[in-house]
Amino acid sequence: MVEVEINAESRLNPPLLWGIAFVVAMFGAGIFARWVDLNSFWSMAIMIPPMLLLFPMVKSGQRRQAAVCGNVSPAINAYNRRMLIWSFAYVAALFGAISIHDAIKPTGPLLWLIAILPALPILYFVWALGRYLVEETDEYIRMKQVSAALFATGVLLVLATVWGFLETFGVVIHVPTWAAVPVWAIGLGLGHFYNKVRGV
Amino acid sequence: MKNRLKVLRAERDWSQQDLADALAVSRQSVNAIETGKYDPSLPLAFRISDVFEMPIEAIFSRD
Repeated sequence: MVEVEINAESRLNPPLLWGIAFVVAMFGAGIFARWVDLNSFWSMAIMIPPMLLLFPMVKSGQRRQAAVCGNVSPAINAYNRRMLIWSFAYVAALFGAISIHDAIKPTGPLLWLIAILPALPILYFVWALGRYLVEETDEYIRMKQVSAALFATGVLLVLATVWGFLETFGVVIHVPTWAAVPVWAIGLGLGHFYNKVRGV
Repeated sequence: MKNRLKVLRAERDWSQQDLADALAVSRQSVNAIETGKYDPSLPLAFRISDVFEMPIEAIFSRD
């Protein structure tokens, strides 16, 4: 009976739908900003409404975990809270860095400081990933997360290697190295999907 | 590895959630162990053994 309930709940995936809505809204905002040639201030400002979609995404994720797992682990709650913190901190830091850079055209140590500003929330994100694995007490759930993380790392290594050589030989455009984190995050999602496909 | 978790649980009229609560793990974990998708670590196997008050080898066996 319980297994039937789990399978029935697994078919509906509201967090995935919210996640797709978030990605579509972010890309849509980015394309719109380029299309109407918005300045850096308004380009960042129109990212805020899509960012708000993160709240229902996280909430529905917690509800789904409660339905599928029987409870929401404190580690997941902390992880979700940290994900929201870094996401909004990242937008604020990027917005601040671009605004300051455009306004005062800094040089020297100040330029270094401003350039590193958007990276700090990403470092917090990496720390939060590590903390989650330390704090998660459910070994099966932790194993699934580690498995997905290894899959994501493999995806990133493969893409970085192939793209790097294509770039070296002038076949493709240059991609900034900060793209590693979003690529890894997409790989994490694919890793969870792969877990599901192989029945883990 | 095979296990008798489902049978032992049924004998006690416990749901997966009851067992999950007793082991301080998720219902998903109990389901994964019961269906053979996941083999528990030795510490968790000992906890399962404690909950059922049976030796590990009476619950788990080789394929």
